[in-house]
Amino acid sequence: MSQKETHSISVALAAATCTLLGSGISATVDAQEEPAWDFNTSLLYYGEDGDRVKDFSVSAIARRMFIDDRYLTLGLTIDGLTGATPSGAIRQDVAQTFTRPSGNAAYSVAAGVLPLDDTFKDTRLALTAGWQQPVGDTSQVSVGASASKEYDYLHLGVNAKFARDFNQRNTTVSAGIALSMDSLDPVGGAPAPFSPMLDVGDTSNRLGDQDKDVLDIVLGVSQVISRDLVVQANYSYSKSDGYLTDPYKVLSLVDGTSGDTLLRSIAPGVDGPSHQFLFESRPGERTKHSIFGQAKYYMNGKVLDASYRYMSDDWEIDSHTVDLRYRIPFGANRYLEPHLRFYTQTDAEFYRLSIPDSLPLPGHASADYRLGNFDAITAGLKYGWRTHNDNEMSVRIEGYRQTGSVPADQLIGNQVSRDNFPDLNAIIVQFGYRF
Amino acid sequence: MPSSYSLVIASSQGQKRREIRLELAEDAWHGRFQAMGSPCELVCEAKKRHEALELTELVAGEAWRIEDKFSRYRAGNVVHRINTAGGRAVEVDDETADLLDFAVTLYNLSERRFDITSGVLRRAWHFDGGDRVPSENIVSDVLRLVGWHRADWRRPFLQMPSGMEIDLGGIGKEYAVDRCAGLLREQGSSACLVNFGGDLAVSRAPEGRRSWKVAVEGDAEGEPAHLIDLKQGALATSGDARRYLLKDGIRYSHILDPMTGWPVPDAPRSITIAADTCVEAGMMSTLAMLKGAQAEPFLRAQDVVFWCRR
Repeated sequence: MSQKETHSISVALAAATCTLLGSGISATVDAQEEPAWDFNTSLLYYGEDGDRVKDFSVSAIARRMFIDDRYLTLGLTIDGLTGATPSGAIRQDVAQTFTRPSGNAAYSVAAGVLPLDDTFKDTRLALTAGWQQPVGDTSQVSVGASASKEYDYLHLGVNAKFARDFNQRNTTVSAGIALSMDSLDPVGGAPAPFSPMLDVGDTSNRLGDQDKDVLDIVLGVSQVISRDLVVQANYSYSKSDGYLTDPYKVLSLVDGTSGDTLLRSIAPGVDGPSHQFLFESRPGERTKHSIFGQAKYYMNGKVLDASYRYMSDDWEIDSHTVDLRYRIPFGANRYLEPHLRFYTQTDAEFYRLSIPDSLPLPGHASADYRLGNFDAITAGLKYGWRTHNDNEMSVRIEGYRQTGSVPADQLIGNQVSRDNFPDLNAIIVQFGYRF
Repeated sequence: MPSSYSLVIASSQGQKRREIRLELAEDAWHGRFQAMGSPCELVCEAKKRHEALELTELVAGEAWRIEDKFSRYRAGNVVHRINTAGGRAVEVDDETADLLDFAVTLYNLSERRFDITSGVLRRAWHFDGGDRVPSENIVSDVLRLVGWHRADWRRPFLQMPSGMEIDLGGIGKEYAVDRCAGLLREQGSSACLVNFGGDLAVSRAPEGRRSWKVAVEGDAEGEPAHLIDLKQGALATSGDARRYLLKDGIRYSHILDPMTGWPVPDAPRSITIAADTCVEAGMMSTLAMLKGAQAEPFLRAQDVVFWCRR
């Protein structure tokens, strides 16, 4: 029997019951079981190609339902990160030596190879807790707290959200706020902005612990247009203050004509950088505005979920994200969900491939590829099914490809012929189990 | 006011003694009586005893009226007239005609598996937890008297071949629950819960506690009961926790397929459904039972709230 035929049974039954009992039925059923915990667990693998970042993550969200639509949600995530990440320095035709972020040792990168910092290894533990409950008949309030700890990073956050239904619950307006107070204690201490990478053992450019505060505000409205269509729109504002620099990222100081990184003289018997590298410097503030729109369209059991986000910040990064998911059920217990995501961003106003010695030092500069000009596409497939004991399982496999470019006016001399923004490919595999 | 108070009023209706027992427990009045072969109860938040009593009398009166009118065990009622018509057409009143129309809808929706003429199969099957599985011959003999397609229903006239019978037992209790909840709403009374043998409906959500707590009985193996919070709407359970046959390791559920005369294979032990009305909940759980092994996929496709036991 097809979905359509079975669904028509409940509709016909409701109509026949209405005829039998007359118009005296006004109540819509509101029943829930209590008490109940449900658990949503997942294992996630994210792997970039080559020797780059691999992340293995385990997460569990437990939700306890109480009477009167009140919920307690507790979350736990453990991430294990390994692999190498671009340091920000550019390729050279000769081998390059760098001091490790700890300041305790040095490592070398062969000629023609993109300098990667391979000391990137971390374990992150994140905890969240939230409470949600109705207020009166038409409103809901939720509050939450979050904390996460990495070797060099501590995040503490609180959040609250209020939502109110209007128009026979067809319209929901919501407002949310989140505050986070983060502190950084980078390996070897945070380097002073634009200070040079020093010899092994020299910590004279290191600063103490750093702080960062973030305020997020989200205003949203969701509207039921018809039985089959629900749309949602959000505006969000995010303001970050404090140490926004990546303490492990550097820029190459280059000759203004050849574009090659300047050599550095090292005293005999000392280990240290072969070339001149400066630690990056970002502004101490960042304000982002974003607009998000989403439509969910139900088509006879199939669900199309399409969303678009525009983000613009005062670092002059503008980004566009289009996300499409299409859930196709087959049988009563299985579904397939293809997923496509397109992303594009412009580079930050202070993004630089390198710093030429012929010009005065800019106010801020970063060679972090994540602040560069790039496009990304994610394509994947999720397969979900219901087990015989009514639990849900899913497997998701996605590929991610990022291609970027350095603005032509930033390329100097020999840099023109080099691959300055290598492509990034990653694979994502996720296994989910809900019970 | 004492924390527990009990009042018994009795009335004589025909040969059967009927009584209402009123008790105050956990800040609510519980009016209890027996109807349609089940213990029935009205739980209400009435402040005063006389108000609770009036409401219970209203509900019990309606339950007994429906029982008297549609029970196949009562002589002289409309069902008895139909079942003893000997092939002649019987004219029925509007309420009966409405119930017959509803039964026809279910007959069609269930692809002829919900059949009010299938009650006679009980002559062959006795679901008492024992092992008396009837012979194929007995079943096929009785099956000749089953099949709504043999009936000629032209509202308000029903004509059936002699020997065929109808049984509205599969609808009656849920119908009575909804009728009573409707009467209570019309009255604008205090928040009440109408519970007839586990099939129940809410007149409205209680003031103080905001939801009615309903325990759905566990099965015979001592599985813990579900505790359900019901603010609005109704719950009904189809199940065979005690009504089944067990022979040679095979459990025969009491849900009979009128097409074969035999129990539906692989039917869940019980299905509880939450719906706007008790009639919808009860009928949906019966339709799901008739799907046997496919009960859960069927219910999921309906987008109803359900609890299924295997």
